[in-house]
Amino acid sequence: MASINYAFKEISCKIVFYGPGLSGKTTNLQYVHQKIPPQTRGNLISLATDQDRTLYFDFLPVDIGKIHGFSTKFQLYTVPGQVYYNATRKLVLRGVDGLVFVADSQKSKMDENMESFQNLVENLSEYGYDIDKIPLVFQYNKRDFPDISSLEELGKALNPEGLPYFEAVATKGIGVFDVLKCISKLVLDQAKRRQLFPEREIETEEVEKAPALLSLSQMPQTEQMAEALNSSTPVENLTQEAVTTITQKKPEPPAEEITPKPQDTHKETKPEIELDIGEIAEKEKVKMDQIPSRESPTIISWSAGKSGKKTKSKGFFLWRFVNKLFNR
Amino acid sequence: MRQEDLVIYEEQIEKIEKALSRLIEDAQAKCVLLVDKDGHLITRQGFTQSLDTTALAALLAGSFASTREIARLVGEPEFSVLFHQGKKDHIHITLVGERTILAVVFDDRTTIGMVRLYAKEATENLGKVFSSANRQDRQTEEEKKTDLDSEFSTSLENRLDDIFSEQS
Repeated sequence: MASINYAFKEISCKIVFYGPGLSGKTTNLQYVHQKIPPQTRGNLISLATDQDRTLYFDFLPVDIGKIHGFSTKFQLYTVPGQVYYNATRKLVLRGVDGLVFVADSQKSKMDENMESFQNLVENLSEYGYDIDKIPLVFQYNKRDFPDISSLEELGKALNPEGLPYFEAVATKGIGVFDVLKCISKLVLDQAKRRQLFPEREIETEEVEKAPALLSLSQMPQTEQMAEALNSSTPVENLTQEAVTTITQKKPEPPAEEITPKPQDTHKETKPEIELDIGEIAEKEKVKMDQIPSRESPTIISWSAGKSGKKTKSKGFFLWRFVNKLFNR
Repeated sequence: MRQEDLVIYEEQIEKIEKALSRLIEDAQAKCVLLVDKDGHLITRQGFTQSLDTTALAALLAGSFASTREIARLVGEPEFSVLFHQGKKDHIHITLVGERTILAVVFDDRTTIGMVRLYAKEATENLGKVFSSANRQDRQTEEEKKTDLDSEFSTSLENRLDDIFSEQS
């Protein structure tokens, strides 16, 4: 799993390229290594046999620089594709944050693709990982070969859930960076989400104290939560500017009106959580009253400030809730 | 197996670096690296400028992982100490707690016995830092995680566009 170092402001994530032997996993890394600026990447390390077949893994660190103050690094690994090397292949999966499944598009390789995918599921489950919880994208490689399966066939066999996929010719670099960009974003979004909504906190302490938080957080995607609470503003985009815009649209509603309104609106949309939100709203009423200056974006600091260590999560939902209210 | 991210805070790093500096001094080692079992470098001390520490961290973790499998095959739960002997430089690797690996690089100015002795002491100290840090996590997380808040995604997308799009 990702390593997040607040002392050095660093995030480091592990992305593994998985797939059957000779499907082009190492070629992907070699292309990335060739093309991105040297200051962005480290050395490509290949633990390979004399015949250049991957024995343990290939490793390429990529430093994409500072994102919002955090120096963000990806460690790209490949696994040995040959069936024989399953022991080492499994080891590479340890602590994986994101997966790229590199499939060989040739019709004759379809069985190998499926076998490799099955092997991936098994190896992950041996670590206790659930493939549905790890970001995964597919790369259908070797699209320039003559006798290839159609995208529908590949999708049906490997990706019935319709996860992101890309056609590729890794030797020419086609589809290589598209895959990398997609998986990088998914991985960092997930790491961020885990930091903002750590499951263990919800599972242990918050269950009794905040049932509303539990029922909301159990939804698989943050976006879904955002949809439920705030149909027009996905949570990923809830930037400070967004809050400012919203607050400018509806300036200065009397503070007393806020508390009853959430209860009313939620009765219509989310009846099962209405009581809990109401309770939270009640508890937070004093704090709500402390936000008279909604023309300035102080809601951010109110919802995420250091003052309310325990109440912050509740406040966070309430804050989104207030957003929804203002959007109406 | 734990599926949580490894999160390190500033107050932990201070203690960790202090323990590592002391280890270098006492054992007369060249440098030490503290590495996550997944291959992420946590921190390093000593003469590391000439080393590719990122790659070293990944390889050390890989090496440790394969040794652990070997241990399992011969019926041991885990080899907790690993030692690579070279002509000039040597590496002594120990497991710290459940998740981290301490690697000490040293040469003939000192001896394996000294390194082993002080590495053991440092391992115990580091173990304490990690276990006490786990208890504090819950409070500090609340404060720190705001750093990864909403604007992160937007900045990320722009940055990924900058780096990857122009290459494809």
